[in-house]
Amino acid sequence: MNLKELYQEIILEHGKNPRNLGKTDDFNKDAKGNNPLCGDNVHVYLKLNGQKIVEDISFEGSGCAISMASASIMTDLIKGKNENEAKEIVEDFLGMIKENPELKSEYLQDDEKTKLMCLSGVKQYPMRVKCATLSWHTLVSALENKKEEVKTEN
Amino acid sequence: MKIENIKKEFPIFDEKIQNNDLVYLDSANSSQKPKVVADRINEFYTKQFSNVGRSVHYLAVAATNLYENTRSSVQKYINAKDKNEIVFTKGATEALNLVANILGQNYLKEGDEILITELEHHSNYVPWHFLRKSKNIKINFAEMNEDGEVTLEEIEKKITPKTKVVAITHLSNVTGAILPVKEITDLAHSKGILVVIDGCQGAPHLKLDMQYLDCDFYAISCHKMYGPTGLGVLYGKKKWLEELPPYQGGGGMIKEVKKDSISYGELPNKYEAGTMATAQVIAFDESIKFMESIGIENIMRHEADLVEYGQELLQKNNSVKLIGSPKNKGGVLSFTLEGIHPHDIATILDEDGIAIRAGHHCCQILHDKLNIPASARASVGIYNTKDDLDKLNDSINNCKKIFNLK
Ligand SMILES: Cc1ncc(COP(=O)(O)O)c(C=O)c1O
Repeated sequence: MNLKELYQEIILEHGKNPRNLGKTDDFNKDAKGNNPLCGDNVHVYLKLNGQKIVEDISFEGSGCAISMASASIMTDLIKGKNENEAKEIVEDFLGMIKENPELKSEYLQDDEKTKLMCLSGVKQYPMRVKCATLSWHTLVSALENKKEEVKTEN
Repeated sequence: MKIENIKKEFPIFDEKIQNNDLVYLDSANSSQKPKVVADRINEFYTKQFSNVGRSVHYLAVAATNLYENTRSSVQKYINAKDKNEIVFTKGATEALNLVANILGQNYLKEGDEILITELEHHSNYVPWHFLRKSKNIKINFAEMNEDGEVTLEEIEKKITPKTKVVAITHLSNVTGAILPVKEITDLAHSKGILVVIDGCQGAPHLKLDMQYLDCDFYAISCHKMYGPTGLGVLYGKKKWLEELPPYQGGGGMIKEVKKDSISYGELPNKYEAGTMATAQVIAFDESIKFMESIGIENIMRHEADLVEYGQELLQKNNSVKLIGSPKNKGGVLSFTLEGIHPHDIATILDEDGIAIRAGHHCCQILHDKLNIPASARASVGIYNTKDDLDKLNDSINNCKKIFNLK
C-alpha cells in the first residue's frame, strides 16, 4: 500500500481547490448522490444544449480529498463533451477503478487520461473506492434524469 | 488481574495487521475480545451445545443453567434487584426498540412528549421517531452546550407537563460527556416521568448500580464490554416489564396458545421470543468475570488517565480541534483537523496500524449542530496505553505532512 500514490499532489490540489464547485446557472439536469455509510453527499448540475453537449457542469457537496478531487477532475473534463461521450467516459473511468489497468476511451486526451489515472490509487483501498466513484454515478443519474438519490453500494 | 499486562489477554494484539502492531482506538465502536471469551464460545459449541429451555435432555438442561447463570451475573454486575429484570436482546439497538415499542403500545398517548438530547446515537432517536409517526408523539431535544455536555438544568428547562419519557445517553459516544444520570432520574421521577438510559458507553467504562440509579430502563451493548456480538441487555424495572405488553411474539414467550386465545409467559421469557443468542449469552459471563477480575475502579482510573493524557496531547497539537471539553469525560477523543477530511485521516492512520473511526458515528444531529459532516474519533478501552496515544499523535502529524499542513 502506498499513501503517496493515493494522495498525489494533483489530488491534494483539486481536493483543496475544487473546480466547478457551486450551482450552474440555468442548469437543466441534476441529481444527488449520497454515501450513507460516511455521510458524504454530492449534487451534480448540468446544462445541456440542443445538441446534447454539456455546456456547463458543476457540483456542490462535501467530502474527503478523494471525493472532492474526483468530482473536480470529472467536471473539468466532461465540460464540452456530448451526452454519449460523457457516458462512455464514465464507464471507462468506473472500469478502470474496478479492474482495468488503463483507460481506453478515445474521447479522452492523453493528458486527461493521466489526470484520471491519478485516482487509480484508491484501488488499493477498497473502503475508499466509493469516495472516488460517487460523483461519477451521480453524473450518470443526472444525464438519465433519474429522480431517486444515488447511493453508493460497496 | 493487573491492567498493565492486560494486552496479553487479547490474542488480536499478537497479530500483525498489514505488517503493523495494532493500535486499537475504536473501542467505542466495539471492543476487542479477551481469549477467555473467544474460547468459551468455542467450548460451548464443541462440547456443550444444545438449545436452551426446550428439551429435558442432559445437554439442554446444562445449557439452560449456563444461560440463566449469565443472567444472574449481569444482575449482580449492575446491581439490579431481581434476576428477571435482565432481558437479553440482540444488541442495545434492539433493547431501545423494545422499550419504545412497548411504551408505545400501552403507555404513551397521542400528544405525549418524549425528551431526548442532541447527543443521542440514532438508536436512541429512531425508535422514538417511529412513535412520532404512528402515535403522534412529539420529540423534544435537550441541547448540547459548547463543552459537548447536556446539563441537568437544560433537561429541567425542556421538560413540559406533557413529557412522559426522558431518554438519554449515559456517556456520549462523540464528546465523551458523562451525563448526570442520577440527578436527571431523580428530577424526572419527581415529575412522574419515566427514564430510559442508553448505557452503551456507560456499561463498559463506569460503575453501574441500578438500585441506586433507579432509572426505569437501561440498555447495554455486550460487544462493547469485551463480549460477543449479537448480544445486548435490557434492564427494566420489574414493575414495567410485568405491566407492559410483549414485544415480539413466537416460541418461548408464551404460556398457552389456542385458536382463539393466547396467554404470555412470565418474565424473563416474556421478552425473549425465539431461539436466543445462546452461545453469546454463555460467553458473556466470561466478559463479566474478566472485567470483575480487573475491577471497575481500576478500569475507570486507567481510562481517566488515558483520556487526560490524550486530551493534553491533542490540545497541544495545533490544527487538531477536539470536539467538546466536558468536565466529566469518558474515554472518547473526537476531533477534526483543519483542512483534512476525517476519512482521509482514518486512511492515513490505518496505514500506521492505528484503527480509529471516521464519520458521524451514528450521531447526525450532533454533527449538524456543530456544522460538520463528520469527525474522527479515537476511543480507548482497558488495553490501551499512553504509548498508543503517542502513536496516534505522531500519525496525526504524518497526516499534516502528507497534506502539506503546518
Ligand atoms: C451510544 C450508543 N448507543 C447505541 C449503540 C448501538 O448499540 P448496539 O451495537 O449494541 O446495537 C451504540 C453503538 O454503536 C452506541 O455507541
